[in-house]
Amino acid sequence: MPLALALSPFLVLGFGALLIMLAEAFGSRRGGMALGSTIVLFATGLTAAGLWMYGLENLKGLEAVAPWLLLDRFTLFFQMLLCLGSALAALTAGGYLPEHELDRGEFYALLLFATFGAMMVSASGDLLTLFLGLETMSLGAYAMTAFRKASPRATEGALKYFLLGSFAAAILLYGFALLYGATGHTDLAGISKVLRAGAVKDPMVVTSLVLILVGLVFKVSAVPFHAWTPDAYEGAPTPATTYMAVVVKAGAFAMMLRILLTAFGDAQSMSWSAGWPPVLAGIAVLTMTVANLVAGRQESVKRMLAYSSIAHAGYLLVGVVATMRAPQQAGASVLFYLLGYTVSTAGAFAALVLCGSRGRETVSYEDLAGIGRRHPAVALPLAFFALSLAGIPPTVGFFAKWFVFRAAVESGFYVLTIVAFLNSVLGAYYYIRVLVYMYMREPAVGAPVAVPMRSGYVVAAVILSAVMVIVLGVAPSDTLDVAVAAALSPG
Amino acid sequence: MVPFEHYILLSAVLFTVGSVGFLVRRNVLMTLLSIEVMLNAVNLALVAFNRARPENHTGQMFAFFLIAAEAAEVAVGLAIVLSLYRLKRTVRSDEADLLKN
Repeated sequence: MPLALALSPFLVLGFGALLIMLAEAFGSRRGGMALGSTIVLFATGLTAAGLWMYGLENLKGLEAVAPWLLLDRFTLFFQMLLCLGSALAALTAGGYLPEHELDRGEFYALLLFATFGAMMVSASGDLLTLFLGLETMSLGAYAMTAFRKASPRATEGALKYFLLGSFAAAILLYGFALLYGATGHTDLAGISKVLRAGAVKDPMVVTSLVLILVGLVFKVSAVPFHAWTPDAYEGAPTPATTYMAVVVKAGAFAMMLRILLTAFGDAQSMSWSAGWPPVLAGIAVLTMTVANLVAGRQESVKRMLAYSSIAHAGYLLVGVVATMRAPQQAGASVLFYLLGYTVSTAGAFAALVLCGSRGRETVSYEDLAGIGRRHPAVALPLAFFALSLAGIPPTVGFFAKWFVFRAAVESGFYVLTIVAFLNSVLGAYYYIRVLVYMYMREPAVGAPVAVPMRSGYVVAAVILSAVMVIVLGVAPSDTLDVAVAAALSPG
Repeated sequence: MVPFEHYILLSAVLFTVGSVGFLVRRNVLMTLLSIEVMLNAVNLALVAFNRARPENHTGQMFAFFLIAAEAAEVAVGLAIVLSLYRLKRTVRSDEADLLKN
């Protein structure tokens, strides 16, 4: 019974997703699907929050599902985070899909099952469950990306996402297979034990680490394996873009932390001379710089947000590198950053959806021209989330960057921090550009003028994210304590 | 009896063939096939490693799950390829070029 209680977030989400599918098959009304999925996701998140407060240490028999599923505070944190992100995507979908005549209920079932997969990734302590969760998450995301069947752009984006995603999964899996061959274990703790005993110099282990890093970098969409991201983000319906940017990215980072800190958490693998940190540091520098430079040249706001999500993956990687010397503090800063990034990005996409309507979507900067004067109520949230993504106080974006940079400085990564700081200054350019177009430009004569849509769901998503951006930006310390308690320790 | 290393060598060759195929072929169906070759290289490696460590069946079990997951993945992939074919009457990835910087 305590085990069922500890597994309750999975059970609530799983049964909820099945109920939503049944409602889709037998129900006559379509309108309630978004509301239903949001309720399921919030119920899951609240169950995880309840377990957090009750304390997992009071529950016995949790080792019955270990190492397949590790029910610890890291898992609970990600369950809450992933449910929040998916709920924001579901609310955005509740307004976007009917407006663009895409209102088919399977979107919500896909979304819920993909979230189940992401939760499984964050909970897994074995390469097998890690892979199964990853596939469940990715397959749902591929299908959601391809949801606009009549649109060649959506199909093209989904095709690129699918092909590169499967390629990355195959590389990751070959790394898993070699790691199993070298250590004889597929559970992360067992692998770590063998590596500590001295197998870490085995060339097969080194090869597997390289392959696994390539796969992970693909999944978190960092440079040089980011090529699919802008295309998939631009082609996908905006709620699916929200989902990819927020939930899939958080799931990928959960996977990265679990693998690198648990399986490769021994002293040598985490050292600067012979481990993964210098590789990731190089990738972080490359990711931030390339993404920020390219993002400034975009004409489409959706593509700009795609490059922005790549740049944020770079800042997050700085935090992951810093776990090498300060695992608790840097790990917590990564978790907090993911939370701040989730609410800012989901809010930005919801506000972007709100700015346009059918046939008059806001896609490019030009579409946003003058909207601040014509429709101040929808322009304000978009401006606000852009400022949070740029990291301007008093929004959560500021503290998220602050905590990551502080962890990096205290671990002695001065050069890396300076590069990250310069990049966040560079990145402010294209976020501020959104504000310039909205408030200081007028649309060209004869250009199509965007008309905001009306939807209670999208407004709810915007308000919820705005409240979280403000609250976390003004009083981050309680949430940071939660993140500190959730951070993984190596080995 | 075939020595264990030969299986690993074959799996490495298969994996390389698959990745090269993925990178050079422009027909999406061939690209999908290349990914399958790569995944089968993984399966072969898992089973071969398991034979070298007969104390449990972890590798074989992993391979079974992998086969099932591959089937699901191909179903989604072919659905996307079909919808590309319906719209553009082609399955060549270089003719899907609407999305650019």
